[in-house]
Amino acid sequence: MIDKKLLSLLVCPVSKAPLEYDADKQELVCRASGLVYPVRDGIPVMLESEARQLTLEEREQLDRQ
Amino acid sequence: MSDRKTTDFGYEQVAVEEKAGRVADVFHSVAARYDVMNDLMSGGVHRLWKRFTIELAGVRAGQKVLDIAGGTGDLSYAFARRVGDDGLVVLADINESMLNVGRDRLTDRGVAGNLQYAQADAQYLPFPDNTFDCITIAFGLRNVTDKDLALASMLRVLKPGGRLLVLEFSKPNNPLLEKAYDAYSFKLLPFMGKVVANDADSYRYLAESIRMHPDQETLKAMMDNAGFVNTEYHNMTGGVVALHKGIKP
Repeated sequence: MIDKKLLSLLVCPVSKAPLEYDADKQELVCRASGLVYPVRDGIPVMLESEARQLTLEEREQLDRQ
Repeated sequence: MSDRKTTDFGYEQVAVEEKAGRVADVFHSVAARYDVMNDLMSGGVHRLWKRFTIELAGVRAGQKVLDIAGGTGDLSYAFARRVGDDGLVVLADINESMLNVGRDRLTDRGVAGNLQYAQADAQYLPFPDNTFDCITIAFGLRNVTDKDLALASMLRVLKPGGRLLVLEFSKPNNPLLEKAYDAYSFKLLPFMGKVVANDADSYRYLAESIRMHPDQETLKAMMDNAGFVNTEYHNMTGGVVALHKGIKP
């Protein structure tokens, strides 16, 4: 689990946009850049080199929300 | 390829995109023995350098502090005690191994709640503009590929009036001391690294990277250029280490 205080501070290092926390997948999602950052062992890994791209399906799903 | 951009990795020139990985290897390699080696290499004096940094940081209850390249958490530990329950300290490091060692160590020392951890790159900080009252980077800036980019990023996330403190090896201000220091760091340091940590290369990189780092006046000018005001520095141990301070206007 990632701490709420920390979560409220984090933004995407690429877009500087706020992130959405996916607790099931332990990931932080940035809609603006389409980058998904892993949370490993409770520590958010805020490195572009470690992020994955949102898939098309995930993007569509987010747009519907 | 002649147009390929290079940067220093100790005395070696490497491709810009290669440096971070090479530095990462060094710190993965030294993480477990980092504290022991610091005490041994500096004769325990690194504790005094850090104590002075903590004093000059002037962190108060309720403030937000970012400790970049926080490694094994010496500064974060002190700050967490000072900011109290209403404040927050974020220990950031680009290196997973250092971060894990730091978290284990601070959890053992009973720090929790107001101390959080993030794996982050000083050049691309993952925080909004105007967030922190104080940022420290101790023995970290030397290893950053683009120091100007990192200084700009730190300025961005500081609140107006917030302060940056850079603790880093620097240039001894006395030629005699410099000679002794050279002998120490290029002969004794890699030897100790080999004997204690079985890793002479990492400690050779340490010695070389210190020589490649900008001296006191150069770093001060870089901070001025980045947009910091009231920049100043304090030499410690004859300039072996310098503490730079700047304010975000």
